[in-house]
Amino acid sequence: MEFLYHFGPVFTLSSMAILCAGTIGGLLLGATPGLSPTMAVALLIPFTFHMDPAQGLMLLGAAYTATVAGGAVSAILLKIPGAPANIATALDGYAMARKGEGAKALQLCFISSFIGGVLGVLVLIFLTPVLAQWALSFGPSHLFWIAILGVTIIGSLDSKSVVKGLLAGCIGLWIAMIGYDSIQGVERFIFSEHLEGGVHIIAALIGLFAIPQVIEMLEGGRHKRTFEMVEVKPHSVWKSVGITLGHPRALTIGGIVGVIIGLIPGAGGQIAGLVSYDQARRFSPDREKFGSGQAEGVIAAETANNAMVGPSLVPLLTLSVPGSPTAAVLLGGLLIHGIFPGPNLFVQHPDVAWAFINSLLVGQFLMMIFGLYIAGLAAHVVRIPPAILASGILVLAVFGAYSVQNSQSDVVVMLALGIGMYFLQQYGFSPAPLVLGVILGPIAESNYVQGRIIAQAGDGMFSYFCLGTMNLVLISLVVLSIFYSVATEIRMRRLDSLGEIAT
Amino acid sequence: MSENVAGRLQQTIAAAIILALGLWVAFVSFSVSDPQPYLFPQLISVAMVGLAALALVRAARGANRTGAGMSLHQLRMIAPAIALMLAYVLIAIPTLGFYTAATLAFFTLYTLFDPSSHQKPSTWLVRIAVTVGFMALIYVVFAMGLRVQTPRGLFI
Repeated sequence: MEFLYHFGPVFTLSSMAILCAGTIGGLLLGATPGLSPTMAVALLIPFTFHMDPAQGLMLLGAAYTATVAGGAVSAILLKIPGAPANIATALDGYAMARKGEGAKALQLCFISSFIGGVLGVLVLIFLTPVLAQWALSFGPSHLFWIAILGVTIIGSLDSKSVVKGLLAGCIGLWIAMIGYDSIQGVERFIFSEHLEGGVHIIAALIGLFAIPQVIEMLEGGRHKRTFEMVEVKPHSVWKSVGITLGHPRALTIGGIVGVIIGLIPGAGGQIAGLVSYDQARRFSPDREKFGSGQAEGVIAAETANNAMVGPSLVPLLTLSVPGSPTAAVLLGGLLIHGIFPGPNLFVQHPDVAWAFINSLLVGQFLMMIFGLYIAGLAAHVVRIPPAILASGILVLAVFGAYSVQNSQSDVVVMLALGIGMYFLQQYGFSPAPLVLGVILGPIAESNYVQGRIIAQAGDGMFSYFCLGTMNLVLISLVVLSIFYSVATEIRMRRLDSLGEIAT
Repeated sequence: MSENVAGRLQQTIAAAIILALGLWVAFVSFSVSDPQPYLFPQLISVAMVGLAALALVRAARGANRTGAGMSLHQLRMIAPAIALMLAYVLIAIPTLGFYTAATLAFFTLYTLFDPSSHQKPSTWLVRIAVTVGFMALIYVVFAMGLRVQTPRGLFI
């Protein structure tokens, strides 16, 4: 129950103001089609430099929670999911809105998001210290394999092609090596004056996540985005509370599915929402009504995609393996404040760790309250033209990258990485493994070098890095994550081929 | 050239470029006199070359189905945006100053991709108002709030 002692820093005036700002900003950003939660959190990181680490993380955590929930606004009102996590919400949410139940659908969404979110954070609170305690015994070889595991998991699960996912991870690891070697100060791979300081994590995060989205928004040229906005009629919040609580099956399925999928690194909110929706339909006596505006579908999907948020942070905080692209961005946010998540986090910085986790719990309440009352405003935000959004994000990205170290080189590197990533995306590469390579590269290298020194003084490299129970478990997980994804890719290809034959 | 063949060719070229990058990283990592700082890059370069070679073989055989590649139409659409971004960061910021360059970049990008008519004066007024409003917000947040010192060019 240690977390109860750390609620104080969350309830200060400045922390509450930050949480409110993060929640409102996150809801509006999440509601805007084309802005992913990952990009929103990446763009917010520079704003946290001047805050103390706990408050900086509170802002990022609140924004993360709220963007996932806010994505439901455009999913329900426009049938355009604000984030991949809201795809399942659009199935019944939009149908409800077309029947004149838009306000009801939005209320159900925020209430069930709150229930799922609280459940997820409770799992985070009770599971994290147990895993962290166990992980305290890890040595350099284990930490090396954990860093590699982080890259292979995101590389193989977040991409449609395992080879390209892993290749992107390797490119990220190489980018992290650019600059001066941290042990001997030797110059490595510096082929431009802008690379002399290396590639800063935040410049990489902003460039890789924000710039490709800016270019994608402009792909349509001067094309006018037309929306079929549905009319939102007022609906009683208390009635919606009753309706949500009257669907315990959907809440339970959403909660369980969200927690389990959140704990699996790389799976993400999109899968949580879709699996939960599918299971709720399977167990519902009204399964044939799903897709035509069934409240149960919205509740199941939204409970799951928010229940996933807390557990997705468990591997990040205990093992420094981010479970999702947004968790990878949060890892970057932690590192720039000098906080290294992992086994020692709860020993060296318990105040920061617990204040962050507790703020996620408080953030769920704020998300529901603001969500219920500013959903109407968010409905206007979704209509901002892509030209304004793209121009605004570009300028924000440039200022954000510059403000990290007051360096123009960071801006140049950010833009170069962003444009490069846009082209790589067209060929099936995903930014998440690349980012993770950039973040985990220095961690993997320092543990590799340390482990090598220990190994040379002891039983040798093979014995130190490849033998021992924990090394074998971690190596097995690395291999398993790759093989599982290869098997999934082959199965999907077969299904595609069958589909092509059938058509 | 059929769409399939063009797609396969594009995927093959992309994989070949990454293979070339991997080979360069491997060459640099393995040809240094003091290998100590390059031990980890050596590991990465081996993995990179292996995976890129696999991607190249798969692309050449047409087995690579992820990513639609680029079309000429798509390139034509995004070329002005990319050119403007490069001009903004590489030329405008050092010569004009951070805020002036940002104002010009925002306004130009917005105007280039705004579907509203260029003929109506009211459209231009809206564009100017949005640009000024957004840049005022950026100035308040970064210059006054976060106290970020930006280098000056001809202007601020």
